[in-house]
Amino acid sequence: MTSPTSPANGALSGFRILDFTHVLAGPFATRILGDLGADVVKVTSAARPGNTPSHPYYAMWNRNKRNLALDLSRDDGRALCRRLAEKADIVIDNFSVGVLDRWGLGYGSVSQANPGVIYVQMSGMGDGGPWSEFVTYAPTVHALSGLTYLTGVPGHTDIGLGFSYNDHLSGLHGAVAVLAAVEARRATGEGQRIDFAQFEVGVNFAGPSLLDLFANGRAAQPTGNRLPYDDAAPHNCYPCQPTGPGVVNERWIAIACMDNDQWHALRQLMGNPAWAMDERYSSAIGRTANVAALDEHVAEWTRPMAAEQVMALCQANGVPAGVVQSGADLAEADPQIARDNFLAPVDDPDPASPVMVYRDRLPLYFSKTPANAYLRPHAVGEDNVDVLGDWLAMGADEVRQGEQDGLLA
Amino acid sequence: MAETDGTTGLSGVKLLDLVDERAIYGSKLLADLDANVVRVEPPGGELLRGRGPFKGDVPGPTNSLWHAFFASNRHSMTVDGTTDAGRRQLHRLLMWADVVIDSGALAEAGIDLEEELARRPELVGVRVTSFGPEGPWKSYLAPDLVASALGGLAATTGDVDTPPLKGFGEIAFYISGSYTAIAALSALHHARATGEGQLVDVNVHECIASCLEHVLMWYWYHDSLPLADGPVLPRRGALHWSDGYDVIAAKGGSIMVTPTPNPNAQIAWLAEEGAHQDLLEVDLSDPTALIGLLKQITDVMRPWVAEKDVEQFFFEAQRRHMPYGWVLPLDKVVDNPQLAAREWWQPYDIDGESVQGPGAPYHFSAIPQEIATYTKPGAATESILAEIGWEDDA
Repeated sequence: MTSPTSPANGALSGFRILDFTHVLAGPFATRILGDLGADVVKVTSAARPGNTPSHPYYAMWNRNKRNLALDLSRDDGRALCRRLAEKADIVIDNFSVGVLDRWGLGYGSVSQANPGVIYVQMSGMGDGGPWSEFVTYAPTVHALSGLTYLTGVPGHTDIGLGFSYNDHLSGLHGAVAVLAAVEARRATGEGQRIDFAQFEVGVNFAGPSLLDLFANGRAAQPTGNRLPYDDAAPHNCYPCQPTGPGVVNERWIAIACMDNDQWHALRQLMGNPAWAMDERYSSAIGRTANVAALDEHVAEWTRPMAAEQVMALCQANGVPAGVVQSGADLAEADPQIARDNFLAPVDDPDPASPVMVYRDRLPLYFSKTPANAYLRPHAVGEDNVDVLGDWLAMGADEVRQGEQDGLLA
Repeated sequence: MAETDGTTGLSGVKLLDLVDERAIYGSKLLADLDANVVRVEPPGGELLRGRGPFKGDVPGPTNSLWHAFFASNRHSMTVDGTTDAGRRQLHRLLMWADVVIDSGALAEAGIDLEEELARRPELVGVRVTSFGPEGPWKSYLAPDLVASALGGLAATTGDVDTPPLKGFGEIAFYISGSYTAIAALSALHHARATGEGQLVDVNVHECIASCLEHVLMWYWYHDSLPLADGPVLPRRGALHWSDGYDVIAAKGGSIMVTPTPNPNAQIAWLAEEGAHQDLLEVDLSDPTALIGLLKQITDVMRPWVAEKDVEQFFFEAQRRHMPYGWVLPLDKVVDNPQLAAREWWQPYDIDGESVQGPGAPYHFSAIPQEIATYTKPGAATESILAEIGWEDDA
């Protein structure tokens, strides 16, 4: 079947995904799969908290999905959901471990009737273990995995990332897991269950440092913008001319000299000042050893200039440099983003809504199966008739009856 | 390579791996799921083998732990792309592969990926570039720090008294790497179903910009968000955009605290300990007021948290089903009982020496992921040449 809400020639066209995910990590996974043309049916309920399609946070992660309202607190709701699961290629959730089992919708049960079904269960801590009931959000995972500790400057280990990185990374891994299981099923005809712990995705960020700890007994420490193991300097963000008062008006340029040639080019751009010709700065090791003084000198050079000017100068001379871009920079000043129409309103704005819904497109460009359709998030139950007609051949009258008696609401 | 019976995982996928650090995590994801991955290296080994940290702190062909993590489970093949024989070997590999992922190595060898795809229509080609193949920044250099800055990752990380910060390690390229794996597998799925391969461009810059949680939301919807003060959220340490999450120094360490998802439970806990009984009077039923109340609650939590023993406090919070996170250094992370109970750590066979290392980010019921094998550069050259039927007939 071709999904009505996705490009007809998407790479995953014809795939049916039953989506119980909420908040960010899971919906981001299914957003990607929907962008690729899968028929993603988001199961929700007006009675369940956390599903507010009018909220911008929901709008960000739930485009290109159909919405089915279903009251899973009712026996007949769970029975109907079971029929949907038996038709699905993928069932995906980020509930606490065991919720779908308690509803009679677990993999062990559904796979008896639908042996090709693939379950991706994206819990915080995974199925089993003494912490399996722990409650986690991305900032929780950042803290427990070492990412918060390590993303900071020496002596200031309470900074961490300023956004929910691990939710995105979990979503990406969720999509990889689905696609890998699909490929495996091609060979065997069998589906499988993927036990997915967002915590384990998080710990994986420190792969080389963890090997270092096991092999060499050394626990990594925060290094700010410097590379933790390799000599590369200058390698930092440097202040430029602000556009006004306050932190939000600060302007910064990231400069990363990865080798001596790039340092020599930067040195020339700075006018070969006497300090830069000092023997201490002639090698990457020397520059790294004297990085505080080096950074201050570079900052003196960047401070009076516009960040965009520094970037253009550096890049034109083979020095890696980039403006520290805010959301406003990305949307208003970034020529690559503008060129690709990467940020834009959705294709089908709701004429009844006063709020325009925007989207960032999938950053993958397929020559034969383009992911070019971006449709607005749907309201709770908006697709009841279409979904139940497509998946279960239910008639519209039967669906409307279910809506009236609260089953499909 | 991990043990397979030939029918599990991605063992039927032949992947030619020609990517640098921007996408090496993607080929790692596929290799760790049993894909048959040939990673091409120049004579003497690729430059990425020079990335620290090193086993025993000594650089060497198989001593880079960075490279061992990202480039295990590959068949390493030496190809000199500057020679005619090397270029013909690459052509032969392109005839062998189901999927090729490339971040510029083919062009360096004088091979045009689009011509190869035209010659072999069932082939999937994934091309990874920092900014896309066209546009004013197409030639810009963007190692991790620069990519993090331009992609929007650094702007909200750091504090008022620090520069903007990139995340530790290669976290920006974990994103582009993961997208690369998605590109390869989804295009492969289409090719399996239809016989039609294609070119997929992975734009690293946009990959990063797609994973910023609130940053673009703040820009687009700031007029309707109760907390927003203009379209740009300032850099402000660990304090989350919602004002509902923060990292606070307690006794013995720091902890991430939040009154979400159940502010009532947090207020009850505070009141239980005699702190801020006044919060019991607040009305949490109004969603508009709730956001302001989260800030109020977080503010009153700070001095309360400061007096707590961090370890006991963390476990008590989790006992109460509150998603607090103890800020742990890596030497504590490796002792985590949850990871131990789930047998998460796995051995890395680094050129014959076993080193404990990170496990897989997911557990498939029917795909084994048991060991990571890391070899010398070119260790599989002879066997791969035999597999692709190479005879140097120059």
